[in-house]
Amino acid sequence: MAKNRLRSVFSRVVDLKPGEGVIAVFLFLYFFFITSPYYIIKSLRNASYLSGLGDEKLPLAYFLTAILMGFIVNFHSRLQVKLPRSRLIINSLIFFFSNIVLFWWLFERGWRWVPVAFWVWANIFAIVLVTQFWMLVNDVFNPREARRMIGFIGSGAQLGAILGGVLAGVLAKRAPWLLLPLAAGMLGLGILVVSGIFRWQRQKTDGIDREAKDRAAGPTKVGFRDAFQTTRQSPYLLLLAGIMMVTLVVSTLIDWQFNSIVQSSVEGESNLTSFFGYFNAGAMFFAFLFQLLLTSPIIKAFRIRGALLLYPLILFLGTGGIGLAALAGLVPLVPAILIKASDKGLAYSLNQSVRELLYIPISPEQKYKSKIFIDMFLNRFAKGLGAIILAVLLWLVPRAPGTQGGQGIIRYISLIVLVIIAVWVFLNFRIGREYANLVKAKLEKQYERGDLLVAQRLDVDYAKLVFDTVESKTRSSHLYAMNLFDLIRHDMLTPEVKKLISYKTDEIRAASLGGMFEQTETGLGPKIEEELSEDVLKREVQEILNLDVYQDVMKGYLERTVADSSADSQVARMEAAKMIGFMDSRAPLVGKLGELLEDDSPDVCRYAIQSAAAHMRRVDVPVLVRKLKSPALREDAIAALRKFGPRIVGTMADYLADRSEEIELRIVAASVLAAIGTQEAADYLTWELSSGAGAALADGIIDALDRIRSSDPRVTFAEDIIKPRISEETRLYCRQLVDLYNGARPSDETECRRRENRLSDSLWNVFKLLGLIYPQEDMIKAYQNLKAGTKDSVAYSLELLDNVLERDIREVVFPIVEDLSPEEKVKRCRDVLRGIGEGKAKDG
Amino acid sequence: MRIAARHKNDIVIFDLEGEIRRSDITDVTLHQLVKEQLDSGKRKILLNFDAVEFIDSFGVGEILASYISTHNLGGKLKLVRISKKLFLIFQVTMLTKVLDIYEEEETALKSFF
Repeated sequence: MAKNRLRSVFSRVVDLKPGEGVIAVFLFLYFFFITSPYYIIKSLRNASYLSGLGDEKLPLAYFLTAILMGFIVNFHSRLQVKLPRSRLIINSLIFFFSNIVLFWWLFERGWRWVPVAFWVWANIFAIVLVTQFWMLVNDVFNPREARRMIGFIGSGAQLGAILGGVLAGVLAKRAPWLLLPLAAGMLGLGILVVSGIFRWQRQKTDGIDREAKDRAAGPTKVGFRDAFQTTRQSPYLLLLAGIMMVTLVVSTLIDWQFNSIVQSSVEGESNLTSFFGYFNAGAMFFAFLFQLLLTSPIIKAFRIRGALLLYPLILFLGTGGIGLAALAGLVPLVPAILIKASDKGLAYSLNQSVRELLYIPISPEQKYKSKIFIDMFLNRFAKGLGAIILAVLLWLVPRAPGTQGGQGIIRYISLIVLVIIAVWVFLNFRIGREYANLVKAKLEKQYERGDLLVAQRLDVDYAKLVFDTVESKTRSSHLYAMNLFDLIRHDMLTPEVKKLISYKTDEIRAASLGGMFEQTETGLGPKIEEELSEDVLKREVQEILNLDVYQDVMKGYLERTVADSSADSQVARMEAAKMIGFMDSRAPLVGKLGELLEDDSPDVCRYAIQSAAAHMRRVDVPVLVRKLKSPALREDAIAALRKFGPRIVGTMADYLADRSEEIELRIVAASVLAAIGTQEAADYLTWELSSGAGAALADGIIDALDRIRSSDPRVTFAEDIIKPRISEETRLYCRQLVDLYNGARPSDETECRRRENRLSDSLWNVFKLLGLIYPQEDMIKAYQNLKAGTKDSVAYSLELLDNVLERDIREVVFPIVEDLSPEEKVKRCRDVLRGIGEGKAKDG
Repeated sequence: MRIAARHKNDIVIFDLEGEIRRSDITDVTLHQLVKEQLDSGKRKILLNFDAVEFIDSFGVGEILASYISTHNLGGKLKLVRISKKLFLIFQVTMLTKVLDIYEEEETALKSFF
């Protein structure tokens, strides 16, 4: 009971899914037990250095750290190659534990070089242990999991820092000898926690899917050179490296400003240690609150792109304030404290979280290689660069005797920081865009659309004509000849088709055009090319058909044929319908097409529809529209109407909008408009969608719009209509889901299936609509991976949507696409419906 | 034309018999039958042409419409035991570029996995 209550309280603070609680708490504690000792060490580090050597020697410390970090990274890379992840981390912790004991002894000796060594060592401590921590987090979580839990896990660091800072602040004056043993003890607890994590991971990987096993198996092991090459070769990683560089150069310059101002305001080593302790605790308390309360909402609301900009913009304002205060001759202690607190607070909350999220879409191999280079080496290299800038400034702008805090140099530093922040903002814009592209690239299309595959690989009209030609062989030599002539007319009588029609059958083989081809192929007769070229044939047949005398002679025959509706004359009517298609549109006999289009025989109608498509007479359009109702002729009628093109868009839109027409016909009218596919067709469809189309018609229209979008990306769609429709479809989905899962779930399996299909159709409709106003390929990828993808591909789909969709659309769509249990999803859908006043009705 | 459905594991096999022609249309077309199976959650469809004598352009439309509907839902539609003559026409018209056609049912069934 108590356990459940605890879990309930916990789940309100952290968005955890079943099975994630243990690892989340473990990682929280791991981070806590490496940051709490570090913040004791850090306070001691700053105080011992400033009181022993002064702020002017700080660039030396920064520089030495940068130099030494190169060796450390190389050494760490070698170790990483040799040791499994668990041993590397645990051995590192044990190593730093023993170092603390060693420094405890060294500080007792009071040697002058100890603060320098301690400074450098403390930085190595932080960088190695924090990098190892994030490597482990990346091993364990995918992007969505990381995004949900990063706030909680990251807050472990802030709490640890607050505790470490407060302990340093309190003990520095009362029992300074206790600081290092206390730090060692905390790190010892960290070793126990990490052992627990690896034990948990081993147990988990025994029974989980391959995907997670691969993650847990750990990364490819690499050396420093490889790590450097990997970063150099990827534009995305170079951007990440660039951002890390500018962030740390700025941080180093601000750090120096702060230390310099503090040194001139606080006297004595114990006071300095205490000040730094309390300051660190306060800054980290701010970071903790920020992380716990604001990091996730900010990332959620502004996405990674927006969140990336907040940190540099705040520093921009802060450093500007310091510069102005220094310019006015003031000692800017308060602005310095504020900007340093903002720097620390945001660096350890928002910035760290966002930076780690930026690593997540990179392949595991790239991630581990680049992290070694960027997080460990480049981190300190940037500090070294900052140190060089400081050293040059200190040399160029000597302090005036008696000035506090060196206002002269401080304002120059502020100026440099402002310039670097401008570069930083630019890089952040670039990486935000690249991040979205990278997430897209992580998603693979699960399957290609069938209609696109057919359109790309097949000429359907040609295929149908060949089938009709072969089929007509059994019916009539005239019809067969006319179909062959049709192939010739369209330059489709390829050698393959010639071979095909010479295929031996027992069917009739009259002395026809077809027979001549067959003889040619079998070598029994004269070669057709020598006797009659295809061009001559086309020209001569056309000329004969257009002769007035021919029209006069054939008039009587056609009238008799068309008038005879018996089954015996069906073939003759088919021949007549086909022949009219070859005539000139102004020929009098074309007028007979209307009667043939009304023929009872679908075979006759089919040929008449083909001829109507060839002549494109407006008078035939209403008949062709009626043919849309016939299952046997629908596809032929759609193909014929499509050939009319933009001329009949208005007519088809009238049928679409006509509420007195059968719904079936209106849906097919939408298909015809989709086949025509012009901007005007899309506009009519969109308008009809906005004018209260019922569910079945709306499905047809959305499908038609989707087809237009895929066939012509230049066509645009009215966002002011599509966006409300997305909301409408989402609400429809919510209603259906709540109906399906509340008490009234039908016992009938068929009804259940029907509702599930409807639910699935609604979701597909939402994505089709999204594809009209966002990149369609992205939406298809996201949909397919959500529907049929693995756990990771679902996560990347959501990440893609999160990055691509605008905020208002995201808020509408996410309740139905988030990776939630059915119960949670029903709850979210109820919330959506409650939001629009449907809650009570749906609560059942 | 007559169409009978049978199931093997999660594969639906439609045994087609006769000719698939516009003039021979039944109450329920092949495409409608395929859509019913898709609606019931099936995603693997095999059309057995062993007893099909001939198809016309309407038949081609039915097969392609069934293929598109199945594929758009992430499913697979394949053909088996098609006559030599029909296969030749399928080749000439490039339908074989889109449709997977197998000689034996066993091979076709295995190809779904």
